[in-house]
Amino acid sequence: MSEAAMGQSVVRIRDVTKRYGTFAAVDGITFDVARGEVFGFLGPNGSGKTTTIRMLTGSIAPTAGTISVLGNDAVRHPDRIRTRIGYMSQKFSLFEDMTVAENLRFYGGIHNLGKDVFAERRDYILDMAGLRGRESTLTRDLSTGWRQRLALGVATIHQPELLFLDEPTSGVDPVARRQFWDLLYEMSGAGVTLFVTTHYMEEATNCTRLAFMYRGKVIADGSPRELREAHAGGGPLPSLEDVFVELVG
Amino acid sequence: MNVRHVRLLVWKEFVQLRRDPMLLRVVMIMPFVYLIMFGYVVAADVTHLPTAIVDLDHSVTSRQIDSAFSSTAYFDVKARPDTEAALQTLLDRGDVQVAIVIPDGTQAALDTGQVAGIGIVVDGADSQSSSVGTSYAMQIIADLNQARAADLGAGALPGVDARVRVEYNQTLASVNTMIPGLLASVLMVTLMVVLSQAVVKERESGTLEQMFTTPVSRGEYLVGKLLPYGLLACAQSAITAFVGTWWFGVPFTGSVWIVCLGLLLFMLTTIGLGLLVSLVSRTRQQAQQTIMFVMLPMFILSGFIFPIESMPAPIQPFTKLIPLTHAVVILRASFVKGSGLADLAEPFLYLVGFAIVIFGAAIIAVRRRLSE
Repeated sequence: MSEAAMGQSVVRIRDVTKRYGTFAAVDGITFDVARGEVFGFLGPNGSGKTTTIRMLTGSIAPTAGTISVLGNDAVRHPDRIRTRIGYMSQKFSLFEDMTVAENLRFYGGIHNLGKDVFAERRDYILDMAGLRGRESTLTRDLSTGWRQRLALGVATIHQPELLFLDEPTSGVDPVARRQFWDLLYEMSGAGVTLFVTTHYMEEATNCTRLAFMYRGKVIADGSPRELREAHAGGGPLPSLEDVFVELVG
Repeated sequence: MNVRHVRLLVWKEFVQLRRDPMLLRVVMIMPFVYLIMFGYVVAADVTHLPTAIVDLDHSVTSRQIDSAFSSTAYFDVKARPDTEAALQTLLDRGDVQVAIVIPDGTQAALDTGQVAGIGIVVDGADSQSSSVGTSYAMQIIADLNQARAADLGAGALPGVDARVRVEYNQTLASVNTMIPGLLASVLMVTLMVVLSQAVVKERESGTLEQMFTTPVSRGEYLVGKLLPYGLLACAQSAITAFVGTWWFGVPFTGSVWIVCLGLLLFMLTTIGLGLLVSLVSRTRQQAQQTIMFVMLPMFILSGFIFPIESMPAPIQPFTKLIPLTHAVVILRASFVKGSGLADLAEPFLYLVGFAIVIFGAAIIAVRRRLSE
């Protein structure tokens, strides 16, 4: 990585380990995420991706190592980063027994948005998610695609600089997934750094940089092209899926 | 602690409560159902015991005894068989639960200054009715003896003298002991059931995880969670207390402050237990099962329904470990006896101890568990 990019790191993880008893969910990982990247975090279930994200958002503390997010120590000052990061999980995490408007009001208030800013963001999210006219629908009555886009809106209501997405497209049909990635690109274009975990290889190709995680360790790190070239072995470029299978196998 | 955050969390909780009309209905209707159950069904005093009188003496005394039993509501004289043998079938079939046998020669014995034996036969199948029936019958006989002694103006006449003295609650109305205890019981059921679900639900749906990536702190979250349900429990207690005193006529002779303080301390212990169950449970069903498992022994050992004195001696010390036990003591004493803080020092000390230990443990555990 170039010196300039290093200075632009929004996430800096050094020798981070998270143990539950004797089991190391995350085992001494080190990497950086540069500002503006679409960082794909890949790995099979249980490889430690979600645990890593939860440490990065300051929800849980690592057993060892240092984590810096947006220039702040995420372990000691999680409160300093929470106003500047967004988080969206595969569960979409909306209050299902509350309406679209109530969910927006709750998260807007939690992020201390002023009245005008909130009104503006609310309108923007309703348009973005295509939920105009459905403000008083309970979120449990929305289709999966709508819920997903609303969850994205809620997670970004405070316009974070860095957005963590934990398998944001699981269980969503291909059309909605496509639309969702269009929204992500739009955000990326606006300067938001994206940190995405996914199972889908075609989504991995959408990323500007990838890290493969396996059994608590980062076993490969680079742009999709770099990774494919590194595993070409003199022959034609393998697909990302082939690279993934080779790494894990 | 950010006041705006807490206000939002409380608002959120009430919005969700409104969307769960079943829960709200259950919480608001529960006091009434319990009041009916414990005020009328469980607290019903034993009366109208089906009774048979076998008068083999046919004398003035035997007729006095007969009329004494016939004229009280405790006994309902259903049959007057001529022989003791006929009694057996009545008891076997359950037609009567109590029988009074006045043997031939009763009057003669009394007239010659001897002790006259009167048989009281009870059906032991229903232990409560039979024990209560026996003591009522003894009381009636004792009254008769006294009346006779007064009539004859003699001091020491032979006869049974079973004296039963009742302190406080002279009418022996069980409703007066049931309803004060009910105040604590309803509160316990509500808070434990609702709070055991509260945190599990948010963990299941992932909203908890989401919330802790926002500027909401763990402390704010807890306050926002506990405040609405604490208020709900207060409303419920007020309903129970109001209906209990106004409709069931339970006397209130104590201090409102003592009742509130007792309930508050008790509330902290139940909130703590509910939260602890919420933490050890992975799903809502599991939380519910655990709560049922925890609550039943607490009810039984608390002395709310079954008197602690009649429990086996080795069990009795364990009743002290149940917070409900002490809450029931405080509430009963406040309502019926008008006891002051000094009289209730022991149960209050227990409750303070439980509140500190259980609520404190729950808060520490929640904070730790939420950041795991």
